[in-house]
Amino acid sequence: MSVKESHLNEETPCTSSLGNYLWRDPPQEYKWADCVHCGMCLESCPTYEQTGEEQHSPRGRVYLIKAVAEGKLSVDEDFANPVFSCLDCRACTTACPVDIDVGGLIEEARGQIRQAVPLNGWKGVVNKLFLHGVFPHHNRLRSLGGLLRFYQRSGLQKAVRKTKLINIMPQHLVELESIMPEVKGAVRKTLIKAKGETKQEVALLTGCVMDVFFSDINQSTINVLTRNGNDVSIPSNQTCCGALHVHAGDREMGRKLAKQNIEAFEKADKVIVNAAGCGCMMKEYTELFRDEPEWKKRAEEFEKKVVDISKYLHDTGYEKPKAAIPTRITYHDACHLAHGQGVRQEPRDILLDIPGVEMVHMPNADRCCGSAGIYNITNPEMADAVLKSKMENVPEDVEMISMGNPGCMMQMALGVQKYGRSQKIVHTVQLLDWAYQKEEGDDYHVRLKD
Amino acid sequence: MSVLKIDTTDKHIINLAAIVGGPGSILYKTADLLAYDCDGFTIHKHLPKAVVFPKNTEEVSKLVKYCSDQGLPFLARGAGTGLSGGAIPVNGEVIISMVRMKKLISVDLENRRAVVEPGFVNLKLTNSISDRGYYYAPDPSSQYCCTIGGNVAENAGGAHCLKYGVTTNHILGLEVVLPNGEIIEIGRNGVLDEPGYDLLGILTGSEGTLGIVTKITVRLLKNPEGKQTVLAYFDKVEDGSQAVSDIISAGIVPAALEMMDKTAIEAVEAAAFPVGHPMDIEAVLLIEVDGIAAGIEEQINQILAVCKKSNVREVRAAMDEAERGRWWANRKTGFGAMGAISPDYLVQDGVIPRSKLPEVLKKIAQISEESGLRIANIFHAGDGNLHPLVLFDARKPGEIEKALEAGSLCLKACADVGGTITGEHGVGIEKREEMRFVFKDVEILAQTNIREVFNPNNLLNAGKLFPTPGRCVEIKKEINAK
Repeated sequence: MSVKESHLNEETPCTSSLGNYLWRDPPQEYKWADCVHCGMCLESCPTYEQTGEEQHSPRGRVYLIKAVAEGKLSVDEDFANPVFSCLDCRACTTACPVDIDVGGLIEEARGQIRQAVPLNGWKGVVNKLFLHGVFPHHNRLRSLGGLLRFYQRSGLQKAVRKTKLINIMPQHLVELESIMPEVKGAVRKTLIKAKGETKQEVALLTGCVMDVFFSDINQSTINVLTRNGNDVSIPSNQTCCGALHVHAGDREMGRKLAKQNIEAFEKADKVIVNAAGCGCMMKEYTELFRDEPEWKKRAEEFEKKVVDISKYLHDTGYEKPKAAIPTRITYHDACHLAHGQGVRQEPRDILLDIPGVEMVHMPNADRCCGSAGIYNITNPEMADAVLKSKMENVPEDVEMISMGNPGCMMQMALGVQKYGRSQKIVHTVQLLDWAYQKEEGDDYHVRLKD
Repeated sequence: MSVLKIDTTDKHIINLAAIVGGPGSILYKTADLLAYDCDGFTIHKHLPKAVVFPKNTEEVSKLVKYCSDQGLPFLARGAGTGLSGGAIPVNGEVIISMVRMKKLISVDLENRRAVVEPGFVNLKLTNSISDRGYYYAPDPSSQYCCTIGGNVAENAGGAHCLKYGVTTNHILGLEVVLPNGEIIEIGRNGVLDEPGYDLLGILTGSEGTLGIVTKITVRLLKNPEGKQTVLAYFDKVEDGSQAVSDIISAGIVPAALEMMDKTAIEAVEAAAFPVGHPMDIEAVLLIEVDGIAAGIEEQINQILAVCKKSNVREVRAAMDEAERGRWWANRKTGFGAMGAISPDYLVQDGVIPRSKLPEVLKKIAQISEESGLRIANIFHAGDGNLHPLVLFDARKPGEIEKALEAGSLCLKACADVGGTITGEHGVGIEKREEMRFVFKDVEILAQTNIREVFNPNNLLNAGKLFPTPGRCVEIKKEINAK
């Protein structure tokens, strides 16, 4: 029996304020109650590794979040600094002897900060433009995608680069522009039947970023699913998962998007996700509805259906490809897959099942790459320092780096370019798809050049 | 990231920042300083004046000289995982954080030694050389994150110190910044048995009161050829204790011999690294032997036989490295795991002659009953180093005092049977008063006289390690005021 007072193990209603947290939905006491300040989390934290400063460590952040609740600190810019320097990578929860949900506390604290200290300057623009103006609106995102596609294909991109017009942007955005994946046509169908006999029906989250920049990964996901007996439905009223909003402290918008998705996927038995960040968010929708019992219940049901593509394939079985893709490859654990969802071995097993694939171990494979949603846009210096450490761990002699999250893919592509490396960045499911296609006579090398 | 300009008129902050090269290397705002108001010992808290991050010995020397000249109290801090409060700025010190001095300077396998900066993390040393067949032996449970500088200050121990000795047995040389800013080197080149006083011995375990270590030469060991680990469950804690004694009496020197009692098992099983220990046993033993591969099986058989003679319920050797790893992760996160069954804990660190184990455990159970606080026991049973963990809730009025008293009584029980009050965690601020259990006034004076030589103005980490009557009253007052 626990000696702890029982109310600490329960969620508390979030309507009331707590210490110096004055708004709805404050950080919850039960989440920090188990922390005994042992420090086992320190070395797991990329920002502590970079700074050595304890307010930028999980233990320090939890301590400060608790201090506000105890009335020792107020919600101001000095408090915002350590709370927003967190990558929300969840590595600390893996390291913690008692599984403290640091990520959850950080997100709740950010919710309070965003209401107390409105954003201004560059970060404000990014937040308003992308988080409110673009990501939640599928059409606008697609239009933006179309615009980008036009930008890339019309020769405008070349012109902008050549005329140095690009230099009006901050340096880190210039870098991002240069690795921006080529925008491809999004998947538009709403139902794709299984090849051969239908064994299961699943729904697919096509995502916002995925849909515009990585629609080929969505296509690969569909190919792999249909190949293995799944009818794939793509509910048209689905929307952005809200992870970027919740990470940024915009929990209201997070709730709005969560509700739309819960409704959109109401009929589905399984919601397949190929972006780790989205999967992790959707498995945590319950957290957003502490004081909306009805929605909380629906969120709980919804969470059970959400599964990462690699885990789904692993758990339900898939045909092992017969064609070989001879390549040396290393695997990067997306934080929200490894630390967030505990999915580590499944993607590696899939890669190992592809004939010809030789896996090379990446030291600290589950260390954050610095992408962290829009962190690389809002905190470019730290993101870059974290990326540099990551790239130092990428083995020299591999041809590809595989992973399961679009944010990581962009960031790692930036790393490859910035540090003069040569690796191709691939999504785990793409490689499986290429192996299947090669079996049918298609040459994956063509796709590699895409 | 830190703000880019100094936003204060405090001349000390401005001057200290100038020494370490600007605003990115100093903290002085309350929100930042709050993260430094305690270490792994959370009962006592105090804000530092500032936290500075030097990059090299010269900067440390300049910082120390500045503090010394200006009469500012100061102290060194590593990862802040210490369990006796050695890095808590009780006098509003300037904290000199050593964590950015974290280079592995050199590895000399031929002479089996390495030179590290103090902020280098303990486990990283072993990880950097294990592929070449070597390791660094002292392995405190916090080795994933604690720094070797901190290990030197506290003379840290660990599970495997039973066979290989604690930190002091592995330190070959130190570069030290004295409290006046002078830089000295002792144990130069790692040559053993230098003439003169054993300064390495005095510095190691001095809890940061004699100087600030800026470079450390450590001994490296060759990986043992073989290794095997046994897990044994006992229905009665006396039987477990008897098995510990019998294993040692049989002439076996295990690399590690660890024990956890019922309450500790409840915690580790409720935490993040459970291994499925039965909940109705009174003691689990974790026994590891290592050495030349040929002798290991025989030793394991002997251990299995001894355990069976002591009425063991179940005993078995680890199937593979993965299982061994799980058993150790479960044990090594034991302190933090207390969070799963209690909001706060206070860990004690007594040492007793092994033969007194059942007697002292009985006494601790009695203390627990009388105080009304649960006490879990995790210990390095092989060398008699007990860690009673007093579980309490700091938010309940009076519980901190009760916990402190229970902890103190546990140490008294250890001292009474001919033991002592700390094996590896240090005295810090936590056990200052308890020093009187083991030292007479004149013996304490002899030690503070040594401190006077190194640290005459007592600006460096004052108020730690030794009882000072006035100060104790103050601290009690502060605790009462909470």
